[in-house]
Amino acid sequence: MQRRKCAAVTMSLLGGLLASFISLAPAQSAQDQSVLVVRGARILPITSPPIAQGVLVIQGGKIVAVGEAGKVSIPAGARIQDAGGKVIMPGIVDSHSHIGIMGNPTVADSQDGNEGSGPVQPGLRALDAINPADPNIRIATSGGITTANIMPGSGNVMGGQTAYVKLRGATMEQMLIPGTIGGMKMANGTNPKGYGSRGQAPMTRMEEAALARGIYQKAQQYKAKWDAYAKAVAAKDKTAKEPDHDLGLDAVVQVLDGKRIVHNHTHRADDVMTVLRLADEFHYRVVVHHGTESCEVADELAKRHIGVSYTMIDSPGGKPETINVSLSCPARLEKAGVKVAFNTDDPITNSRMLLRSAALAVRGGMSEDAALKGLTIYPAEMLDLEHRVGSLEMGKDADFLVLSGAPLSVYTHVQETWIEGEKVFDRGNPVDLRYATGGFQVIGRYPAGAAQ
Amino acid sequence: MRSRISALIVALAIPCSLGAQNIALVAEHLYTMDAGPQGGPGVVLIRDGKIEDVRQGANVQPPKGFEVIRGAYVTPGLIDTNTTTGISGAYNIPADQDQDEATDPNTADVNVRDSLNPEDLLYQFVNTYGVTTLQVAPGPRNPIAGLAGIFKTAGPQSPFRTVDQLIVRINSGMVFNMGEGPKETYGATRKAPVTRMKTAEIIRGALLQAQQYQDKWDKWKREGSDPAKEPALEPKVAALADVVTGKTPAIFNAYRADDIDTAIRIGTEFHLKYMLASVTEGYLIRERIKQAGVPCLVGAIMQPLESLETANATYENAALLAQAGIPVSIMTGYVAYVPKSRILLFEAAVAAANGLGMEPALRAITISAAKMLGIDDRAGSLSKGKDADAVVFDGDPFEYTSHVQQVLVQGAVTYRRP
Repeated sequence: MQRRKCAAVTMSLLGGLLASFISLAPAQSAQDQSVLVVRGARILPITSPPIAQGVLVIQGGKIVAVGEAGKVSIPAGARIQDAGGKVIMPGIVDSHSHIGIMGNPTVADSQDGNEGSGPVQPGLRALDAINPADPNIRIATSGGITTANIMPGSGNVMGGQTAYVKLRGATMEQMLIPGTIGGMKMANGTNPKGYGSRGQAPMTRMEEAALARGIYQKAQQYKAKWDAYAKAVAAKDKTAKEPDHDLGLDAVVQVLDGKRIVHNHTHRADDVMTVLRLADEFHYRVVVHHGTESCEVADELAKRHIGVSYTMIDSPGGKPETINVSLSCPARLEKAGVKVAFNTDDPITNSRMLLRSAALAVRGGMSEDAALKGLTIYPAEMLDLEHRVGSLEMGKDADFLVLSGAPLSVYTHVQETWIEGEKVFDRGNPVDLRYATGGFQVIGRYPAGAAQ
Repeated sequence: MRSRISALIVALAIPCSLGAQNIALVAEHLYTMDAGPQGGPGVVLIRDGKIEDVRQGANVQPPKGFEVIRGAYVTPGLIDTNTTTGISGAYNIPADQDQDEATDPNTADVNVRDSLNPEDLLYQFVNTYGVTTLQVAPGPRNPIAGLAGIFKTAGPQSPFRTVDQLIVRINSGMVFNMGEGPKETYGATRKAPVTRMKTAEIIRGALLQAQQYQDKWDKWKREGSDPAKEPALEPKVAALADVVTGKTPAIFNAYRADDIDTAIRIGTEFHLKYMLASVTEGYLIRERIKQAGVPCLVGAIMQPLESLETANATYENAALLAQAGIPVSIMTGYVAYVPKSRILLFEAAVAAANGLGMEPALRAITISAAKMLGIDDRAGSLSKGKDADAVVFDGDPFEYTSHVQQVLVQGAVTYRRP
């Protein structure tokens, strides 16, 4: 009996491995050309009203149709998946994560988020430190996350370039979303002041701002040089001399040009205002991240159309600048007209629990509509990815979740996670289940008969 | 910024000034957590801080002279069986951290009572999520960490509270820490313990010494208690003597399966009355735990798992242990960073949704917890004669979108949803 059980686990383990290999296959596989139809579920397209009995048609990794049963034509020969009684919503977009760069298990060797050798690091690219094999990535898909903004940590004023990825693939090249260059991580408040304890700058918030201002001023000058050069080349000026490239300043110029959004870690209301002051001064695009006290300056955010990527944490404190955290902050931001996304800040909150963050915001007074948008279309907008992800619409990536029930209920589980038409998580698979609940490293010893 | 904290405190304080009254809690779904059926309609009558009567049924009318509080769900006050809330303050700066006296691997004589700050923001905050009783225990860094105590989170005496007004029982447990905590605390500077074997040796050595000490005192008492021959008093050893005699239960905090096993080995060797805390990999050796007959204070599952020894944590741990027939409660334990405290209600919700089920999860944070702490004569269920500690919810307590409407401690409303 015992041995047979072992064999079953081994088989399922192999099955899981096979499944993961399939999911790693290049996007242009022959299978992708076939049509998949998922029908019977309640579908939440997010940017349009819920569909009680919905049909989702997928081909080539894209959504080709979404609508009510009977109103969407089902192509002959399509694979049909019945999802009766389930709920389908878009894959979750996590606008602030450290999976892959702050790895699992948490030992020094797997921690590459904070380059603590200097507070201004625009030349760093998160993609050069992200480990696609980090179990946290698979754990995140079990929580329904399909797209993530993986960022350097908050120990530096300018922490480096972030990476916009899909949570699939064995290499960064397969994970990176084509055509994206990522954002720029910045931080103010307590964390960059860590240098102060070593007698290094920054020791104060004013120095943090001065360092930020300094790099943008340098970038402005650098950009002017390049602009002048481009102008001279255009005027066929043979004496024009190409300026030297600077890895860091190239990336900061992309910020000044609006091609790279600044993702700014900040908690206290006065720190949020410092973020806005710098963005006003250098005219760059910014998203306020964490924003613990952002609701105190909600009007300032609203008038600038700046969104907040909020980290929903359970209780106050852990450091003085998070002492005023509150479940009602997202609701207050919503009321003021500020778009709110929810992020995991994984490992601060676990990637399996991002649906819960939105639910807690509803507990705090936010509308369910805004909470669901905060998991999908709003974070997509904050990453300039709303043309591809964040809603179930014709032409968008086929990134979706099959849920066992209402998205914001504690009793609901993510049953399946799909990225571009490929299933990357299936709760019915015993290996995947251990990523959803825990114990994936000891699956052979994991007792059967727990929670199903 | 300060205004919101003050507002919270005022919100806690104003209803309390009403003091204990006669209250009738009228519930659509009453979870008394006593032996009877759960979840039907009913009324709990409260007089002078105690439960006077519980009446089940849809047509029960509250008697005259009782202030009526209505709620969708009413449960007993929640009980956190192991936490540093109150001794590990919200700001997480040296000024408010008093949970780990990491200057000596054996600090058996320290007592949480002397660190507890009932005015700490988190201490008041957990009450707003329904926690009415908690066992505050020293932190996870010393092999022998000191004495835990059981306290109410608030009470009729609010807002001016002293620790002593909140005591349910002091010296409720002696904390022993296994695994990474001790070795990382001392090992970094090459002080003992550097290894798990040394941690075990320190604990066994101290317990052996405590047995000898107890024998010495017993002998002295047997031989007439001659003041001239009185043995020297040694506070640390004396505190552990109460552990080896079973007067003070031992709480072994352990994560990895082999560390849990070591705790059971020591508990068995010294015939201790003991329980297991955190028990992250408990599910892997649940037969061993069951055989040893040890209750488990199952650690919070939602904090960042920042160690190797918690890498195999599973949301199903509480369910698997309970299914094996092991008594389980839930503890919020220790948090090193943001957020500074886990919420018992939310941790139990994860267990509820991952195999344990709603009612057993509620049991784990009420009556099972009370039994483990030996306070079920006062708390843990809505039963005649017990303290009137109760929580009123507007929906299923574990649903994220439900709200705590009111919290009562000893008949006083200590929180009312603004």
